[in-house]
Amino acid sequence: MHPHAAMEPFLEAVQYRRQRLEGAVSRGEKVIGYFCTYTPVELIHACGFLPVRIWARTGPAEKACAQVPGFICPYMQLSLENALSGEFLFLSGVVQAYTCDVACGCVNIWKATFPDLLVHSIPLPYNVSPEAGAYLRSCLEETVEKLVSAGGTYSDEALAESLDLYGRIRGILSALHEQRAQGTLAMTSADLNVVAQAFFAMDPVHYLMMLERLVADLNSCRSILAPGIPVLVSGSVVEDAGIISLVEALGLRVAADDLCTGLRAFTPASAAGQNPLEQVGNRIMKRFPCPARSRQSQRIPLVLDLVKSSGAQGVIFLFQKFCTPHLADYPAVCGALKDAGIPSILLELDGNAGMEAQALTRLETFAGMVGA
Amino acid sequence: MGSTGKSKKRLSTARELTRVVTDYYLECHRARAEGRPVGWMPPMNGGIEIFYAMDLQPVFPENWSPVCAAFSLAPGHFEISEGMGYSRDLCGYLRNIVGYVHSDMNGPGVPLGGLPEPDMLMSFGGGCVPAMKIFQILESRFPRAKVFRADVPQVACEDIREHHVDYAVSEIHRLIEFLERTTGRKLDQERLHRTVELSDAACRLWDEIMSLRRCRPAPISASEIGIMFVMVTRQGTQTAVDFLTRVRDEVAERAEQGIGVIEDELVRLFWDNIPLWYNMGLFNEFEGLGGVVVAETYSAAWSLRLDASDPGRALALKRLMSYSLVSCLSIERRKEMVLKACRDYGIDGAVFHRNKSCVPITLGQDEIIRALDEELGIPSVTIDADHMDSRNFSHAQFKARTDAFMEMLLARKNG
Repeated sequence: MHPHAAMEPFLEAVQYRRQRLEGAVSRGEKVIGYFCTYTPVELIHACGFLPVRIWARTGPAEKACAQVPGFICPYMQLSLENALSGEFLFLSGVVQAYTCDVACGCVNIWKATFPDLLVHSIPLPYNVSPEAGAYLRSCLEETVEKLVSAGGTYSDEALAESLDLYGRIRGILSALHEQRAQGTLAMTSADLNVVAQAFFAMDPVHYLMMLERLVADLNSCRSILAPGIPVLVSGSVVEDAGIISLVEALGLRVAADDLCTGLRAFTPASAAGQNPLEQVGNRIMKRFPCPARSRQSQRIPLVLDLVKSSGAQGVIFLFQKFCTPHLADYPAVCGALKDAGIPSILLELDGNAGMEAQALTRLETFAGMVGA
Repeated sequence: MGSTGKSKKRLSTARELTRVVTDYYLECHRARAEGRPVGWMPPMNGGIEIFYAMDLQPVFPENWSPVCAAFSLAPGHFEISEGMGYSRDLCGYLRNIVGYVHSDMNGPGVPLGGLPEPDMLMSFGGGCVPAMKIFQILESRFPRAKVFRADVPQVACEDIREHHVDYAVSEIHRLIEFLERTTGRKLDQERLHRTVELSDAACRLWDEIMSLRRCRPAPISASEIGIMFVMVTRQGTQTAVDFLTRVRDEVAERAEQGIGVIEDELVRLFWDNIPLWYNMGLFNEFEGLGGVVVAETYSAAWSLRLDASDPGRALALKRLMSYSLVSCLSIERRKEMVLKACRDYGIDGAVFHRNKSCVPITLGQDEIIRALDEELGIPSVTIDADHMDSRNFSHAQFKARTDAFMEMLLARKNG
């Protein structure tokens, strides 16, 4: 039993996500998968589909190895392994915001391997300008067109409702992240990771109710977590809360994250715009950027701000192995942190397990270095 | 560790390439000395024609990497970039360029004088991630260079719609405005028109040369693929058209006279992915066993034709299509292209380079291998290597796999 009773539904939502989504589909719902959190989930939801983030697994990639080389990120490799093992038979399609080469290539492999799925990639602009905004709007309209052709229906009103729903969810999740940064959140970061993972895997209406109950539970909770040395965790996809638990068990406290499955997915909660579609586009363009979609000069100040505002005394980089966008930015980000007197350590997640002992040793050294 | 080796050239025009390459780099340095603005850019982006039309000097750091590989400079550059914290898992082009620009760029041992420092950087969002990141790193390395932050829709060729083209056209216009503002030079539309015509002429000649490789015996093989240099650095110039015309004429003459790459062409091969720039001699190893690489995916990237009647749109389409060919083309379209090439060129076997330095082209190869086997009965062999980093290549393993493959293909031929 979890110390917070309100956490139980989140743990179950993650543990039984496949069965629950299969149940939803058997009741007539349609589910669309996505990989990258740049994907406009509100739009998918407004068209009558349930958007869920495609998950990977730990362990070897036996089937996927026949389709992809061993030197791509474990998240994409093991997601494909899941798909080839029948994990995602409930999906009606995959809608993906274009991010990195590996995600794009793997989406193409999904398209070739599962010809009955709707597979659509959204080529987001990299620049922020009126022309880019107009172009993005056209891309979103094209996405609506694809979703409608797959059996969805669209209206501005439905999109406004979905925007409101997701905006409220992101607002609460952002507030939880803020409380964590201030050291006033009465839950561990490993638990917060589970809360985020549940968001990616379930119906948002139900999720919002669970989240509101959790917030009420946390507000009434008198327990105070052990202080710990605050650190920032930076990287891409961290699905398994185990590595976060490992960090927290060493006397470190994850005060903030710069993860695509964490803060970056929820910031900002929403954006203004003259109409619902423009609001979707504006939020994408104002998102806390991922290295695959931004310049080092843009991201480094944001990461430094996050370190400062959270009081982090060190940074733990958690990269999916072979992740080009993060690895290419790493020396510059690491150098900027060094200049600011912030120590850091890089751990690469290889998804195939067997790295716990090594990670533990390195994290112990790092914890000692920052004084935990 | 892979051994290095240069390929054997049969064409006299291919041997002339050395002069073309030298002239290009001399021109780059002369531009710097004469105060003609130098801009660094990725290849295939539609900017080269605008640069030549404005008498600006385009420089292609990506193209410099094969030069570094051929001159065995890449390992030293890897040492520098890896020492800076760049992972060995990153693309070899990125690690090489980063190492190069942080070394003595124009020092005494650097061939061709190295690259002149940039006055401008065309730093793209889009293309493959390493290409994008290279320019972001260059922005930090050359803080005085004016930066044009370009954008291009990442969309597969078959999915291109009018809004993608419109945005790409607006980006071409924005680039022109940037260049006019930064250099104080005005673009002459008539010159741009002429430059695009020359670019298209080069593509047409390229297609003709590639088509002549359908002849049996093949008059030119992948070992001569260095002629691609003019497609990367000289598109939009008379130099490219003149050089390619001479190549075309020589290849056509060889085809007409039945002069092949080797005396007894037994097996015709297809090569997928980027060649091993530090060991182009591998192509000759097939030839020693009676095999000739007569077609490849990489050379197809230069077959895009341009409609000079609307230069802005033509360059926008070139940018959209070229990037798609190397970063996000669907597997279905890639399969179509490879299968068509294998039919057109009478291919007996295909060699797939599983390239650690190029994930976009490597992903999807297994699907294409299956299709070749199932639809055309063409067998394939996969070699694990890297187009830049010889540490990721084992020559012994290559020999073991390709010798057995060639043996099997010859047995099929004879059986």
